[in-house]
Amino acid sequence: MFTKFHEWYKNRHDYARAWREQNDGEVVGCFCSYVPEELIYAAGLLPVRVLGSHEPQDVTEPHIFGMFCPFCRDVLAQGLKGRYNYLKGIVLAQSCLHLRQAFTSWRNHVPADFAHYIYFPNKVQTKHAYSYYHGELVKFRKALEEWIGRAISDDSIKAAAELYNENRRLMREVYELRKAANPPLTGLEAMIMVASSYFVDKKDHNAELKRILPELKSRTLERETGGRLMIVGSENDDTEFVQMVESVGATVVVDDHCTGSRYFWNATEFSGDVMQDIANRYIDRPPCPTKDWEERSRFPHVLQLAREYNVDGVILIQQKFCDPHECDMVPLKELLNNNDLPTLFLEFDVTVPVGQFRIRVEAFLEMLGVEELF
Amino acid sequence: MTTATKEYWRWKEYNWHDETMDPKGADTITAGVDIGSVSSQAVVMVNGELYAYSNMRTGSDSPDSARKAMNWALEGTGLKPDDIHYTVGTGYGRVNVPFADRAITEIACHARGGNMMYGSTVRTILDMGGQDCKAIHCDERGKVTNFLMNDKCAAGTGRGMEVFADLLNVSIEDVGDLSLAVDEEPPPVSSTCVVFAKSEASSLLREGWSTNRVLAAYCSAMAHRVVSLLERIGVEKDFAITGGIAKNSGVATRLEKELNLVSLKSKYDTQIAGALGGALFAKALVEKQRKKGG
Repeated sequence: MFTKFHEWYKNRHDYARAWREQNDGEVVGCFCSYVPEELIYAAGLLPVRVLGSHEPQDVTEPHIFGMFCPFCRDVLAQGLKGRYNYLKGIVLAQSCLHLRQAFTSWRNHVPADFAHYIYFPNKVQTKHAYSYYHGELVKFRKALEEWIGRAISDDSIKAAAELYNENRRLMREVYELRKAANPPLTGLEAMIMVASSYFVDKKDHNAELKRILPELKSRTLERETGGRLMIVGSENDDTEFVQMVESVGATVVVDDHCTGSRYFWNATEFSGDVMQDIANRYIDRPPCPTKDWEERSRFPHVLQLAREYNVDGVILIQQKFCDPHECDMVPLKELLNNNDLPTLFLEFDVTVPVGQFRIRVEAFLEMLGVEELF
Repeated sequence: MTTATKEYWRWKEYNWHDETMDPKGADTITAGVDIGSVSSQAVVMVNGELYAYSNMRTGSDSPDSARKAMNWALEGTGLKPDDIHYTVGTGYGRVNVPFADRAITEIACHARGGNMMYGSTVRTILDMGGQDCKAIHCDERGKVTNFLMNDKCAAGTGRGMEVFADLLNVSIEDVGDLSLAVDEEPPPVSSTCVVFAKSEASSLLREGWSTNRVLAAYCSAMAHRVVSLLERIGVEKDFAITGGIAKNSGVATRLEKELNLVSLKSKYDTQIAGALGGALFAKALVEKQRKKGG
């Protein structure tokens, strides 16, 4: 049922190249889920996320510090190796230093016609963030208009925002089904559904979601659900890891990742000024730890998700050297443990040591006591 | 020309069975087979009592090691592999035990085995194995309540000790006692990485350090490193050490000193903890299976 999403995810570069030929538009690489993709889409361009490939590489050593996270290195490696050579533009919304380094290195070493850096405010917990980000969006819109050589109308921006909202609503509908005692989809399928959405024209993605939803609602999986797990942490599109977890007696039922639920959780609410509405949506979304201060507003959100999805335990993952997430790990673990939610902490690298993680995950499931061994 | 080379790292393999017991016709005959990265053990239990076991080096082929360990444990007992009602595979090669009814992690098995070996008061078990260390919290039944494993490093493990035994020409069984035979505790080697520690030890020897002093410096560094793993999870009393390194007094004594507590001692062989736990789980599982009528 999720074949199309699998295909899109696996052949994402082919999809982008084909889209470019068929649509007379360029493809723009987005370095963070805070990039307002709606504006890019409204300009007749296809925004795609720049993600790593989970392969060892040796091309980024001269450009990025060894103590920067494996994700930012993997991302830059894709550029240096020419995997995204169809991109005509790249955009970063400020999140963390590591990803910014990947972006600036890419800008310096990989040819692109358009490179835009959005000063996304790190402090979102202030009323000034809304107007500040609105200003950034106005600048970004202007830069896009100059690049493509024509104006982007408010109407097309509104239409793009509506299309994006529909995608968010449909993916939430799919996530909602994971609350069931026996979810009709695996965590791997959910991950691939979301991951494919970064690369595919939302029109196509929405059509596929609408096609599978009725069928999905009555689908029964030929597998035991086992332990219900949540995964929380840094950027994560590590399908190999989720596949392993789900092969040892568990199902991932929900997540809090920028590449997962945070990407689509909240919608744009329309009040008249579409640029301000879009700005508000990004300021108000479930935050990345880089933005989540002084209050850690993400914590109650994570706890609420864990409860709504009735999880037995939480896997906390952190990309090695990901400082923003690392700072959150201690209090987050404490909060979850204090609410009777056991946690397993794992540090991710470009490739995961599946055997070493497998024993930890199996022992974690045994500890949760989903199956009585005594 | 032949050169007689002693393999200092090579520890003695052995098997044992209780000659006072008669396993014939017992209600439950269960086994646990622990295929570790360095050593393999097979434990056979009769009605929940330890009956027989073997302890040997793991070969390059896990299924083969499992078969050998099991056959050796059964040697002289009159039992055949087919007489065993239920077998649990555990350890690094747990999914490669061809005759196992199921696999359970060594983390769960060490907690369960430790519970029998040290009694129900044990709350923290430190398993120091061939290639990794695990700090395990458990309840009065021997059920894991929390655990932590070391990451991607052989420090404080059997493999590291083997490297040092060879480097210093000291039999692996003597490493601990000799490391304690120093007048004054030397500063620990500064690197916990086995490879770096080895080159550091070589230069200490060149500087004129005695073998015992170098062993003391290494054991002390290993103990310190493992204490830092334990401290991340916390040590709740009672405390016990399982695995091969539990037999190394040089590491165990220094660990206890640094933690300021004494570890429980057991009449059982510390290296069989995992396999013993496996055999105990096997007993519970076969009884459950029979109740279901399976």
